[in-house]
Amino acid sequence: MDQTHTQTYTQTPTPETATRTRDVIDAVAGIAPGSAAAALRARRPELTAYAQGTLEALLEPADPGGLSRREREMVALRVAVLTPHPALATFYRDRLRAAGGTGDDVVAIELFPACSALSPREEAILRHVDLLTTAPRDAERTDIDALRAAGLGTPEIVTLSQLIAFLSFQVRVLHAVRLFDEGA
Amino acid sequence: MATLPRFTTRYVDWTPWVETVDEVGPTEEQRAIVDEIATSPRGRPYWATLAHDAPALRARHKLFRQSLAGTEDGSPKADLELAAVATSRVNGCVYCASVHARAYEGLTRNRALMRRLLDEGVDTELPGRERALVDFAAKLTRDPAALTGADLAPLRDAGFSDLEILDVAHAAAMFAWANRLLQTLGGQHIEE
Repeated sequence: MDQTHTQTYTQTPTPETATRTRDVIDAVAGIAPGSAAAALRARRPELTAYAQGTLEALLEPADPGGLSRREREMVALRVAVLTPHPALATFYRDRLRAAGGTGDDVVAIELFPACSALSPREEAILRHVDLLTTAPRDAERTDIDALRAAGLGTPEIVTLSQLIAFLSFQVRVLHAVRLFDEGA
Repeated sequence: MATLPRFTTRYVDWTPWVETVDEVGPTEEQRAIVDEIATSPRGRPYWATLAHDAPALRARHKLFRQSLAGTEDGSPKADLELAAVATSRVNGCVYCASVHARAYEGLTRNRALMRRLLDEGVDTELPGRERALVDFAAKLTRDPAALTGADLAPLRDAGFSDLEILDVAHAAAMFAWANRLLQTLGGQHIEE
């Protein structure tokens, strides 16, 4: 987490929140301090911390290597559009812009594959995002070949796969935690 | 589409579609994480594939272990294993389903239930408690955006606390992640 995010998601501790600060999940799921969902999450500090650790490792790595921060945010936005989670899409749209993404990038990702302002490499990445997000059982060796043809090496392919799969996890945690504040 | 073996409790092998760090020569960091995590030669290619991004693997593995750990105040481990199998059955990940079906059977000795779940899928007849868990995991897997507060009612009626439900949700969500890695970075097969 860089300082901007820390400021956004940290708030003054109150008696209810004194033991933990708001994280990305709280902020994006709209979990209010003192709510039922907040109380439940407070009892699972390891899951919360380790999930945050995976977000940082995959979206905010110290060394992004061959998969740029901008490309990583593009992937994240696409998953949030596909699965879908509107608040998560807003979250990653903002982060993509902060990582150098343009308004055209945002439109191209949200309408993919209809509107193409993207490079062949970015299109190959987004095709892989769509496959892994919506039909992972259909993946084949040739899908890896397509990434290689677009210039991704093995480390980038592994990181991309981890990132897409992480987002499938994150969006489901977000949809699950909000239920406890919805009432039956 | 690649031909997959049937769902089973037998050992399923996994062969990566990319070269592993063992094959290309690992860095010290990569070798250390694979040696730490891979408990058998059979499972090593999977970890040695993910180790291309060692920091991501290390962070993810902590979360993975915690998601399946089971707790005294929340879900027992058997419920988390059942959530893992239900998710894997819906997604079609034969490998993950076999690993966690064996874990479930070891904890519960309920081989008949697991056999039905693997053979017939998540809509097979189940006792009330397992029915509620599997239905919730299946919906979280297929269409999480469609979940509402009303989806908690069958679980609460079956005796689950909200903390147990949160644990089940984390386990199911973790297998949305795990299934995708096993299904898209390599092939699954059974040695005859």
